[in-house]
Amino acid sequence: MNLIAIAILAPLSMALLTMLLRRQPAALALLGAAAGLLASLGLLTDAFNGRGSELILPGLPDMPLRLVATPLTALLSTLVAVVCSLVMVYAVGYMKKDNEKVRFFATLLLFASAMQTLVLAGDWILLLSAWELIGLSSYLLIGFWYSKPGVKTAATRAFLVTRSADLGLYIATFILVTSAGSTDIAATLDTRGGLAVAAGLLLLIAAMGKSAQTPLHDWLQRAMAGPTPVSALLHSATLVAAGAILLIRTAPMLPPETLLVIGIVGGVTTVVTGLMALGESDLKRMLAASTSSQYGLMLVAVGAGVPMAALLHLIAHAAIKSSLFLGAGVFQHSRDSTVLDKLRGIGRDRPKIFSGFVLAALALAGVPPLSGFFSKDAIIAASMNSANIWILLPFALAGTLLTGSYMARALRLLWQGNGKSRSVDGLAWMGAGLAGLVFLAIILGAAFPAVESLLGARLPENSQVQFLPVVLGLSAALCGLALGWFVPVHRLLGPLLPWSRQGFAIAGGFDNLIIRPVFFIARTCEKLERLLYESVLATGRAGLRLGQAVRLNDEQGIDGIIFSFVRCMVNLGGKARTLQSGLIHKELAISIVASAMILVFMLITLLVYQ
Amino acid sequence: MYPIVSITVFLPLLGALFVLFIRKAPAQAVHGIGIVTSGLTLLGAILMWSRGVNETGFAQFEQINWMPSIGAAYRVGVDGISLPLVLLTAILFFVTFIYSARVRKQSHAFVALMLLLETASIGAFTALDAILFYVFFEVSLVSMYFMIAQWGHEDRQRAALMFFIYTFLGSLPLLLAILGLYLGSDPHTFDMRVWISNPPLEGIAAMLALVAMLITFAVKTPVFPFHTWLPAAHVQAPAAGSVILAGVMLKFGTYGLVRFALQMTPDAFREAGLVILVFGVIAALYGAFAALAQSDLKRMVAYTSINHMGYIIVGVAIAALATEPAIRATALDGSVLQMVSHGLVTGALFLLVGMLQDRAHTREMGQFGGLLKVVPMLGWSFVLAAFASLGLPGLAHFPAEFQIFLATLQVEPVAIIVILGIVITAGLYLRAIARVFLGETGEKWTTATMSDLNYRELLALGPLLVLIIVLGIAPAWVLDIIHKTTSALQL
Repeated sequence: MNLIAIAILAPLSMALLTMLLRRQPAALALLGAAAGLLASLGLLTDAFNGRGSELILPGLPDMPLRLVATPLTALLSTLVAVVCSLVMVYAVGYMKKDNEKVRFFATLLLFASAMQTLVLAGDWILLLSAWELIGLSSYLLIGFWYSKPGVKTAATRAFLVTRSADLGLYIATFILVTSAGSTDIAATLDTRGGLAVAAGLLLLIAAMGKSAQTPLHDWLQRAMAGPTPVSALLHSATLVAAGAILLIRTAPMLPPETLLVIGIVGGVTTVVTGLMALGESDLKRMLAASTSSQYGLMLVAVGAGVPMAALLHLIAHAAIKSSLFLGAGVFQHSRDSTVLDKLRGIGRDRPKIFSGFVLAALALAGVPPLSGFFSKDAIIAASMNSANIWILLPFALAGTLLTGSYMARALRLLWQGNGKSRSVDGLAWMGAGLAGLVFLAIILGAAFPAVESLLGARLPENSQVQFLPVVLGLSAALCGLALGWFVPVHRLLGPLLPWSRQGFAIAGGFDNLIIRPVFFIARTCEKLERLLYESVLATGRAGLRLGQAVRLNDEQGIDGIIFSFVRCMVNLGGKARTLQSGLIHKELAISIVASAMILVFMLITLLVYQ
Repeated sequence: MYPIVSITVFLPLLGALFVLFIRKAPAQAVHGIGIVTSGLTLLGAILMWSRGVNETGFAQFEQINWMPSIGAAYRVGVDGISLPLVLLTAILFFVTFIYSARVRKQSHAFVALMLLLETASIGAFTALDAILFYVFFEVSLVSMYFMIAQWGHEDRQRAALMFFIYTFLGSLPLLLAILGLYLGSDPHTFDMRVWISNPPLEGIAAMLALVAMLITFAVKTPVFPFHTWLPAAHVQAPAAGSVILAGVMLKFGTYGLVRFALQMTPDAFREAGLVILVFGVIAALYGAFAALAQSDLKRMVAYTSINHMGYIIVGVAIAALATEPAIRATALDGSVLQMVSHGLVTGALFLLVGMLQDRAHTREMGQFGGLLKVVPMLGWSFVLAAFASLGLPGLAHFPAEFQIFLATLQVEPVAIIVILGIVITAGLYLRAIARVFLGETGEKWTTATMSDLNYRELLALGPLLVLIIVLGIAPAWVLDIIHKTTSALQL
């Protein structure tokens, strides 16, 4: 059987089996994840050996569905499978006390399957489908504890914001399919000219929704209402990554104008959400804001014309951010909270977990020789080689500086102070999942040359300034770490702090700008609706009255008409209606009997003649 | 070869007569007859499906002389546009009979009326003679009137009357158009096949006939501003009536739009295409926004029907405006598939709302909360059907809407604004799910006061939910039939 099919169907079939059997959900989940991982690794091995594969399925007329294993898709598939598997291992421990494990693991497997479909999709219809299905599964996962206050709003908001942005993907798909005459993604990447600009910008909108880029970043922080393994998964290699993956895959098509816009959107996001992360008072929400900020950096790399740098950062970030969330989940269980104030001193209570957390934090900040150092270096180098160096480089450096600051601040808060921790069940499982991911976060940098040769795309090298990106990046990271560790946040942000805690919302944000106008239109429609309904009823009544008046005229002559008209007015609609509807009843009864007789007659003739 | 089409059409009528003969039988037996008859009808529809359709023209054609002097005959047959609707009708009636098996009020009349309605519905989709079509069309109307008036909710009389007057007045223009087409054909005939292969009217006459037909089908579909009967009728109709009304009878409007307006007056349709497109776009968006403003769950689902039917109007208008046959086929594929999807999804939604109302005796969203904990099966079924209705890929509406929107962008890019509807419907369904099924469970609803789905309800709902998923993942088995006709359509 085709490895592509196994990579997708292994988790899916285990999800269905879990729902059917309703027992042993954790074991089935691990089995599904492991089988999927093996298939993905097989695809990656094939890719290293120069073999690709393709799977064509029936779809719409003249538009078959395609799944392809190219070097890029096989690599992404492996990344997704690795992170999913390790997070599942962790989740076995994390969900130990929850009594809805079946639903949890089934949804998680469904999610993994949809994400595999997304990265392996070779045509736009399948990509779009998987894109929306990961939206559904994240809605279900974010809303997992749906009875808790605030959860239903968080899930609803996440789905609605991303789906609104998805319209961009819908229309871009229509444009690309129309201009190329095929739904094959590879064939549509030859699109050029105005259509490519338009499609590129529309794809950017879709990516902004999924990757939580400013101004659509608000939903991601609210999504922290879900279980922590879910956050770890959504933020690293899956849901949020989909936006960046989309832009990386379509990068060959994107014209310079679009690239510049992408770079600016990413740059603004990395600064805005970086500041939010710095001002945040909740550990998970801080990590969420950091996710947006890191994806902003990836968009800067795409905007600089080096999607390879974005891909490397995506890979490094996947391992790092999931490690951070998994660490945060243990802290959460220890203190029953994720508020930073309540987590003070947790580092001393959980030294092993905390050391993993520290390593991941340093990797994110870009400290050598951890993986984040290499990918961030690549992004800074890319922005320096870009034609728009003076726009993109400041953004890249500011993002790096902010990353160092907010991670150092978090480490300080988690290390200093005192608090009381309780014992945690399932720590062994959680520790195992976390250890695997931290290990990857440390060493992945060593694998980057292999990734580059696999994809055949080398990072730009500029012999004259080769050392400059390293110097700039390192100094930004170290400055940031020092600032975050030594300077309190209210001094760092100053007057910006209250605004950053509101998510830098302008004019009331999403609620005021989108939701209120939409409901205003809806209410206007409803008013119009009442008006229409009343006028139809009034017309009906007038008709009935007219008929009655005419009848009375016939019966009683001219003299009666004035009298009857007055009586009509007094009687109003009620009496007239009952009288009249009774009459219609009778006529209808006659007509239905007549119609039935016609049908019976036809039936008889049919039987006779046939 | 048995005349399988005619058997499928008239089997329910036989069942209805049988029910009327055994007046003393207990209610269970009567419902049993209803279920068996509709089951056999479904079998007939499946046999029709297995016989398939032709590359061009109509398949499984059956004819009996009726009034030869005026060229009217009993003619039935199917093509790729009507066959899926026949199967849909048979499925929906079958599950509705299962669901309604607990109706005790005048169960004889109920079952007989439903069976009569089934004959009328399948008859309308298979009729290939205009007089025959009109008869079936009107009979369905009258049956639905009684359904609402007898088994509806509080304010049923008024809603039934409004429904009747609206659609009865609305169907008169169709009669005029039929007469016009008859007089225009040479030799005079009511054979719809002749009218389709050789449109009898031209110029101003064709335009007048088109306008007349459009009025009828706009009321039936319904299209803004001719839709006010729909929410009123749905809110008052019993759940069974709502399922049939939305799932089957609204399709008369869109089926007629394709079969009569588009195929019999194609040139006039093309000329008026832009106007029809505008009506479709407005209907889709207006229906979505109006649905968002509702607090009554059933009214909300009713308004989303206007939205979904609006997409079909858009698809048909785009098919008329398209110059390339491939794009026209895509638009029509999407439109016909959308009819099937809407029947399945809205059928399931109305069943679910009915089940909720059976338990809670209210449909106000504000009265509920956290029901997913109390009635998980009902809740998750609603979530599935709601996500299907908002057009999630992998579920029934997506392939249809994708094709309609794709063709729209290719022919009339501005009209792609209609796609905003899928975000509004997402918003309104998520809001409904959040208010009814998520959040904290109120004290009012506990497992003691509200029980989860029973076997009868699961049997009614299950087939629809399975088909919603199957149609979403593998639409090819339906699209192959539809595409055979639409790809060879001559306009």
